[in-house]
Formats: sequence, C-alpha cells, structure tokens
Amino acid sequence: MIEAKGVCLEYPDGTKAIKNIELSVKPGELVYITGPSGSGKTSLLKLFMGEEYPTAGSLRVLGQHISRGQASRIRGLRRMIGPVFQDFRLIKGRTALENVMLGMRFLDIPSGCIRENAGNALKKVGLEQKMLSLVEHLSWGECQRVAIARAVSREPVLIIADEPTGNLDKDNALNILELLKSFRNDNKAIIITTHATHLIEDERYAVHIRMDNGNMLKERSGEA
Amino acid sequence: MKNILYNTGYFIKETKTIMRLNLLSSILSFLSIGLIFFILAMMISGWWVSSHVVLAIQEEAEISIYFSEDMDAAGAERLAEEIENIEGVYEARLVSEEEAYSRMEKILGKEARVLEYLDDNPFSPFIEAKIQIEDIGLIPGKLDLIEGIEHVRDNREVLERILGISQTIKILGYLIIAAVGISTTVIISHIIRMGIYDCREQINTLRLMGAPEAFIGFPFMLEGLLLTLGGGALSSALAAYALKYLYAQAAGPIAFIPLPPREALVSDLTILIMLLSTALGTAGSFFGLSSAKN
Repeated sequence: MIEAKGVCLEYPDGTKAIKNIELSVKPGELVYITGPSGSGKTSLLKLFMGEEYPTAGSLRVLGQHISRGQASRIRGLRRMIGPVFQDFRLIKGRTALENVMLGMRFLDIPSGCIRENAGNALKKVGLEQKMLSLVEHLSWGECQRVAIARAVSREPVLIIADEPTGNLDKDNALNILELLKSFRNDNKAIIITTHATHLIEDERYAVHIRMDNGNMLKERSGEA
Repeated sequence: MKNILYNTGYFIKETKTIMRLNLLSSILSFLSIGLIFFILAMMISGWWVSSHVVLAIQEEAEISIYFSEDMDAAGAERLAEEIENIEGVYEARLVSEEEAYSRMEKILGKEARVLEYLDDNPFSPFIEAKIQIEDIGLIPGKLDLIEGIEHVRDNREVLERILGISQTIKILGYLIIAAVGISTTVIISHIIRMGIYDCREQINTLRLMGAPEAFIGFPFMLEGLLLTLGGGALSSALAAYALKYLYAQAAGPIAFIPLPPREALVSDLTILIMLLSTALGTAGSFFGLSSAKN
C-alpha cells in the first residue's frame, strides 16, 4: 500500500522534516507512528496524502507515485483514503450528517446511498442521536467521532488518522483508538499517529514506528 | 457532470451559504451590477431608438435634380434612368411641372390660393432621387459628370448631422458595453474571490479528500451567475419603467419622431440584458475562480 525508499522532506525555509525514511505498509496492517511534537509524524502523513512532495527518495501510495505535477492522480489517490485530521476540519454551520455526506458527494455515489452510508457511519461511531446537530454544538470527542465517520463512510482502502487521541482523556482516547481499529480488515490498512505511547504499548497486532527529529528510529512489526 | 447533477440540491444550499457569509457584499454587488446594467440598458435603448429614427429618415433621404429647360420629356426620362444607375441611388423618377405644382398646393394647404395669382406654373420639372444616406457625400460629384444637369438641391446638412449623431451614439454604445463588461467581470471576480477566501478552510478540506476543482468551484460559479442575473433583472425592470416614463414625455412635444414600439423595445432589451448578464456572470465567475485557484 505504501512504499517509501529514502524519502526526505525539506521545507523551503530549510527545515528538514523527514530524513531518509524507509517504510512499507501492507494491506490489513495497523500502523502506529509515535514520537514527540515536531518529530515529523504529521509531515509524514502529509506526504502520504500528497499534500507535500518528497524532496528526495521515492514514495508510492496505493500504487500512485507521489511527486509534483500529478495533481489529478493525487486527487484520485485521496479519494481512496479516509483522512481523520488532527483538527477534524469539520465544516461549521452544517450538521454531523451533512459533514459526513460531504465527504462522499464527489465519489460517484447516488444521493440516496450517500445519506444511507453517512447514517450508518454515524451509527457505528455512536452518534445516532446527534446526526442532525450542528457540529459546533458537539463536544470535542463527538467531533472526533464525526471526523472518523466521515473518513470511514467513504469506504477507503487506507485510513490515516492524525493524532486522533489528542486532547482526550485516557478513556475517551482508548475508545477512539478501539473505534478506529474496528474498521481494520484484510484489505484496509490504518495508520494512526499519536504521541500518547502509553495507550498503545500493549498493542501486539500492530506495526510501531517511532519518529524523532524527522528520523525513523524504530520499527516494531506486529504479530498479526 | 454526474456529480453536479446528483448534487444540485447541495450546490444550491452551498451557494445560499456563501452568499449569506458575504451578505452585505452580495447585496452591494447585486445593486452595483443592477445599476451598471441599467446604464447599459438606457444606452442601448438610445442606440436602438436613434437607429430606428435614422433608418426612417434614411428611407426618406432624397435629392432634387434640375435639368436644362430645353431638354424634352424623353431626354429627361433617359436622364432619370442614368441617375438611377449611380451607386447609392436606389430610385430616380421624373416629377413633372404639374406634379410639382400640386405638391406645393398640398404643402401650402389653405394658403394655396396664392398660386392662383400667378399666370403660369412657376415650377420646373425635376428628377427626384432616393439615395443611401451614407453616399450623400459622393453622389453630387457623380451628378456633376452628367451632362444636362443644371442644379442639385439636397438637405445634406440635416442628413449629415443626423448621421453624425447616430454614429456618435453607436461609438458611445460600444464604449459603454466595454465598460459594463469590464466592471461587471471585475465585480463578480472580486465577490467570488472573497467567497473563496471566506471558505478557504472548507475548500482545502475538500481538496484533501479528493474533491475535483469543478465540484469545489460550482457553488461559486452559481453565486456569480445569480448575482449578475439578479442585477440584470433589476436593471431590466428599472429600464422598462424609465422607458415608459420617457415615451410618455416624448408623446407630446416630439410626437413627429418615429419611435419604435415601446413593448417590442422593452422585450428585446430584457432578452439582451439577461443574455449579457448570463455571459458576463459566467465570465466573471470563471476569472474569479481562476485567479483564486491557489
């Protein structure tokens, strides 16, 4: 699903965000990327999403080479990804249902199915009762769930969640992680970044990647 | 395209939201566009009315050609035929002394009895030629080359002045159309850029989820189109009202001017303004979207 060979990312101001990353993610894998703030976790996800381009090395995501000048292909790639953004990026002034539906509107899905998929996704994340609430009236945790529902309702082959446990207490953070893991299957890989390593220490069936200062320090393969 | 059809309801709702976010700008843009189109509508009306009047006068544009007294009737007929062959003359006919006399009687009306004091018919036969008004400067020169012609009488000054006014209105019309086109495009582009700026986070999120640019831009296109169509409709209504008032004012003092029918003028004007507003709204939206793409 993801093949990174010697990938580097250097921003125009000279900051080296990612340094010589070698990585492979296969279908069905659950990958945790951990590390302190500024270690390069979000930059790595931006590379996977085609939001940034490698300044050196080669990166392929879902068969698509990530490089400049591939706008339409990267757009196609993004449609196969379910992103859960760190700041949710929910659209204000819209209900939870409308936000989830918006993520599907340009995926060639008939309107009737869009509503049904969105409703089902919100049920799965436990927001059945809040479907018609405006997102600005929802709590932080509920917004997180809406963002997850929006990501999974698109039936992506790769879910990328950037710090989904940030600002949540331990119980809620564990609930969110469990929820995300529940969408994993043989064909679907999940990549989660978090700095809360204590929450995932016991995860045996996952790939653990530790980042620090743009370097990949450690990769521990899961047992699954 | 399929996406756009599936999402018609969503696009309409989005357009409403975008306009609501920029409510004051939207209202001011709508009024400005309405005013600009109103100026254009009045200019076009003036252009059409003057063209109509000029055309009516052109149809009546004629010159009188007097020939030597010793020329017989057959010679005068041949001369008339020769004149008719000149470029810019589309009809030439011989007016006899008697016809000239009876025309004067009609013109004088009750005062025609003054003619009875004359022993003989004082009028000479002449050739009356209907001409293309644009060629009025060339025809006298060509007539000078024909033998037997003594004198040519034309109302050249009047005709040239009318033609000049008509051409000035036409040039002004072109200038105003260009000015309206540019200002409407700029206003619409600007309001769309503002809309895009206000919705930049949403646009960025949609891009990160793989939404095509057409899907993202369609509500903004719709906003531009709605604003110009609204402005066009407002200006058409104002122009219809203004023309009604102006026609009523013109009915008394200048009733002799052959104005075109008001209903036809208003309906043609409305169609033109709505077509123009659609075209300019699309162009403005397109420029706004292109300039704010990144």
